[in-house]
Amino acid sequence: MASTDGKATVERKPPPESQESIRTRRLVILAFWSVAILLGLPIWWKTTTIYRAQLPLQAMLDWADGKSCRPVFPLRIALDAPSLSSNDAHNLLRTTQHAIDDLNDFSAHHLRLRLRDHFDTRNASQEVHPDVGDLPAVGTPASFTDEDEGEIALSVRLLPGVSGTLPRAELQPYSPTLDVLYAPNQIPSPSSSAAAPAPLATFIANELQKLFAEEQDMLVYLLSSSPASSTSLQAQTTQPKPLSPEAAESLAKQSTRSFKYAPTYHLTFSLFTPTAAPSDWEIEEALATHVAPLLESLSTISNFTVDTQVQLYAAFSPSIREPEYDSNRGAWTLRKEDVSGFINAAEWPLSPSIGAGPTVNFVLYVPSPSQTPLVVADGDATATSWLVPQWGSILILNPTASNQQRQQQPTTLTQDDLAPAMLTFSSHLLSLLSVPSSPPSLPLRLRTLTRVRAASLLLSASSTLGSLARLALALPGIAIPDAVADAVDETVARLDAACADLREGRFGAALRSARVAEMRVEKAFFEPSMVGQVYFPDEHKVAVYLPLLGPVAVPLLMAVVKEIKKLREGRGKKEKEGGEKKKQ
Amino acid sequence: MRVLFLFLLAAGALVIAASTDYDERLLLRPLPQGALLASFNFKSNSSATAFDEQNFRYFPRSLGQILQHAHTKELHLRFSVGRWDAESWGVRPWDGAREGGTGVELWAWVDAQSDDEADARWLTLTNALSGLFCASLNFIDSTRTIRPVKIFQPEGYHPPSSTDSLHLLHGTLPHEVVCTENLTPFLKLLPCKGKAGISSLFDGHRLFDAAWQTMAIDVRPVCPQTGADCVLEMEQTVDMVLDIDRSKRPRVDNPIPRPLPLEQIECDNSKPYPGHDSCFPLSKTNEPAWSISEVFGRSIAGSCPLSGQHGMASQSVCVNVPSERTVYPESSRKFKEVRHDKESLRCYELPVGSDFDLSVSEQPPDVRIPLRQPTIYAARSITGHGQERGGVQTVIVNSSPTSSIEVAYLESLPWFMKPYLHTLLATVSGPKSPSSSGSTTSIKETYYRPAVDRHRGTHLELVLSIPAASTLTLTYDFDKAVLRYTEYPPDANRGFDVAPAVIKLLSPPTANQESKGVYLRTTSLLLPLPTPDFSMPYNVIILTSTVMALGFGSIFNLLVRRFVAVDEVPVWAPSGLHTKIGALVKVLAATFRKPRADSE
Repeated sequence: MASTDGKATVERKPPPESQESIRTRRLVILAFWSVAILLGLPIWWKTTTIYRAQLPLQAMLDWADGKSCRPVFPLRIALDAPSLSSNDAHNLLRTTQHAIDDLNDFSAHHLRLRLRDHFDTRNASQEVHPDVGDLPAVGTPASFTDEDEGEIALSVRLLPGVSGTLPRAELQPYSPTLDVLYAPNQIPSPSSSAAAPAPLATFIANELQKLFAEEQDMLVYLLSSSPASSTSLQAQTTQPKPLSPEAAESLAKQSTRSFKYAPTYHLTFSLFTPTAAPSDWEIEEALATHVAPLLESLSTISNFTVDTQVQLYAAFSPSIREPEYDSNRGAWTLRKEDVSGFINAAEWPLSPSIGAGPTVNFVLYVPSPSQTPLVVADGDATATSWLVPQWGSILILNPTASNQQRQQQPTTLTQDDLAPAMLTFSSHLLSLLSVPSSPPSLPLRLRTLTRVRAASLLLSASSTLGSLARLALALPGIAIPDAVADAVDETVARLDAACADLREGRFGAALRSARVAEMRVEKAFFEPSMVGQVYFPDEHKVAVYLPLLGPVAVPLLMAVVKEIKKLREGRGKKEKEGGEKKKQ
Repeated sequence: MRVLFLFLLAAGALVIAASTDYDERLLLRPLPQGALLASFNFKSNSSATAFDEQNFRYFPRSLGQILQHAHTKELHLRFSVGRWDAESWGVRPWDGAREGGTGVELWAWVDAQSDDEADARWLTLTNALSGLFCASLNFIDSTRTIRPVKIFQPEGYHPPSSTDSLHLLHGTLPHEVVCTENLTPFLKLLPCKGKAGISSLFDGHRLFDAAWQTMAIDVRPVCPQTGADCVLEMEQTVDMVLDIDRSKRPRVDNPIPRPLPLEQIECDNSKPYPGHDSCFPLSKTNEPAWSISEVFGRSIAGSCPLSGQHGMASQSVCVNVPSERTVYPESSRKFKEVRHDKESLRCYELPVGSDFDLSVSEQPPDVRIPLRQPTIYAARSITGHGQERGGVQTVIVNSSPTSSIEVAYLESLPWFMKPYLHTLLATVSGPKSPSSSGSTTSIKETYYRPAVDRHRGTHLELVLSIPAASTLTLTYDFDKAVLRYTEYPPDANRGFDVAPAVIKLLSPPTANQESKGVYLRTTSLLLPLPTPDFSMPYNVIILTSTVMALGFGSIFNLLVRRFVAVDEVPVWAPSGLHTKIGALVKVLAATFRKPRADSE
């Protein structure tokens, strides 16, 4: 009742506040706010922020878009003409080069003819190459020095022919050498102009073009299929000739079939049989005879480990239809649709080998005696071996006639039994590693593979760089450790080196650099501390922050609001008073 | 019985000498109380050169590559469930050398130049084996790994030049539940894959229903004395004790055991009954009849053609029953029966490609092959109460009436169990020393490596001597550590498993040269640790925040507010929301005041 009485009687006002206390109060509020903003906020920022190392994002995107490097493939071809005079040889070289340039319509891949330095060696012994090789002058047909020898894509040896149709070309199957036999009258005379090239020059140019046709197709396909290089291709002055649809299709097939490049491949040879026999095979000898030489020549590109195993009582998976007897063929047939389920992945121990690198499986399946011979029927055709893309190859080994008569499986497969299987496996291995099918010379095909692999590694490393850059841009909450930044720097450096090597025609070095670049960038992309990014949902944050910040923030805010109000009121009063004073 | 074991082992030695590349063997022996011991043994050899060149034939490729990758020269891996009842079942199969502690136990000799390298390779090995056997072996980290000194010796031959670089590492996972998913990869390692031979009997339902079962894999290099090529021998062993009645129960028709109708029960008529509907079943003293197909649910699918075809190697199934008991082998094709060891061991050459079954007749209890009793018995338990500390008590009994024995005793304790070594006390009681003798006399040697929190566990290895017919009681106290919030498993209140102790008989040495040593493992322990309330962190956040906010609010208000007399408080300017709320308050106040005014 007192309050109502008081209210009714007088409305008392608090005594006017001293300027001193108002100032103190404002200072107190200011002090609290400055602690919150100057100390609290930075600490909160510092403790909750995610470390992101600096990445050269623009450079990475440039690589991905193909702006940083335009892969070119200058192939050096050595012209070896011991029987020609220096003048004739130079002349032939010039005209042939002209012919090649006319034929070639893919500027990134071009052939450069050089003359092998015979005129110096002729006087000295044939074995010793003199070190006099001056740096080849630009524009003139140059001679090779020893260091260049490893980078020669092909040697063309001009030999005077005696019989048969002339000129004719013979490719050495085990060395990168093309022998061209010519009749003496086919040598272009020094007087003949480039406009009307000699038939020999045209012939050589055509032969070379034919030899490298598949490689050009592969490179064109590779460059055009990769998004990274489409812009770089467009930037080129001369458009490469578009691939024929059939060629593109076969290359697409090849690229889906083959393994990604790896520095090490594990080869696993497995013998599977649904019964207990054969339980042994002379695999060591068979491998030594048929596979080891191939691996030896492939060792410049990748390393290989080989292991073998014997697995008995290997049943088909229940998902595929059991083979049926086809009396027309006199054989048990497996339908083509079931071939994809032939490998019983659940039960057959074909786990990948331990260690880095993919495992290539070679499965030799010996059917049980009651289901022999076993073939795969595809319409009218039958097959006993097939290739599983990016996995390996399978071969059904039906016993030979002599064994069949015995009506029992031999317990041991001899080396002779294995020979056809090993040959099939070898050719499948080349196909799985995307070694081109032509030309017939294996060293030449391997050199082609070096170039194609270098290009593909370069492109894939570039595109991974781009993905990493886009990832870093797209996810601001992802941590980027220093290791990733270092890896990116090294990748860019290696890619630069690889690109320069390609330009210089050092394809082996380019492959090595690109290999490291690819490895580093893949490691950076799959950096475990980056993949498992710290994730706090927003509700979580509210639940943790609100109990503390809510009760603390409310008095702070209210104090400020009140003070500002008072400040305004005071100012209004002053103005009023000022106005009244003026009036007076 | 001893003779029988010697014979079996000698047969094994013969097999090695003949260097058959693959050999398999099954021994069936009825045990008292209607139990049946089935002991499977598979041996496959690979020549050292073929192994190095990765040409795998009988040796599984998956395991071989793991061993090569981890530079492991000798490997022992055990999966075990249950407890061997030594009092009623006698001596353990293989004298305990092919047996592991409950859960998973792994020990291996790893070739490495330094301890760090050995640790890294051990990590590789456990991770790879974890994937191969679908077991949590990857959880064998540094806290569960020890380097035993005395108790394990290499079984294989290692060239003297390499012994310096061999590191023995031992890890246990007592919490691991061994189950069917571990059996499937185990079977895949066998050349006949459970499709033929004795391995066709393996069925996860029966195997893991057993009262005790252990699966073992042992890989060791063997170099014959003759100087021939060294071979890498892989031995896979499965031992199990089945309850015959339980196994014979049909699984499909009657999965839940129900009592038989009263008419079918043989009642014990010597007891008085209040009515006709009650019956005390007569305890059967006869050993029950059984057959392989009843006990294992299937019969043997012929012989595995890879095992040896002649002599002992071909006799892959043996039954150890008294000669009086009738055994009926059944098969549609030709097989052969051979009797060994005074006809108490009947071995069979299996037919190729045809099922084989064995039936054994019922048998009165008086004809029974006497069981060989083990020299040592052991039991271990946790003592004490409360959440802070406890004690461990191990009782080891020397049953030999004449000779004293010496044993090695190994404990691998988790880091959160912190023993006090000064409380370690060994007391011996027996007929000769009724009062407890001093602890110093029975503990001969001590190897102790204390635990480091979260980095390694305790390794305690003792050499104990026990006089004839005496009991040794080993006790020590320990502290229970308080774990961090995230270190508790999902079932924290269940307790933490502590690995079994391993005991090895050091002397007297066994007479048999081929013996791998006499081992014994106690059961695992369950250690209850103080467990927190797991909603704690959020409660802590809320509580501390509230307290801080309260403190902050009052101090801030004290500093900022201006204190005036009650009647000096400025009235709110009546505007907008304020007027509405004010009016509402007035109305409410009026309604409240009215009755009060009336009462006054």
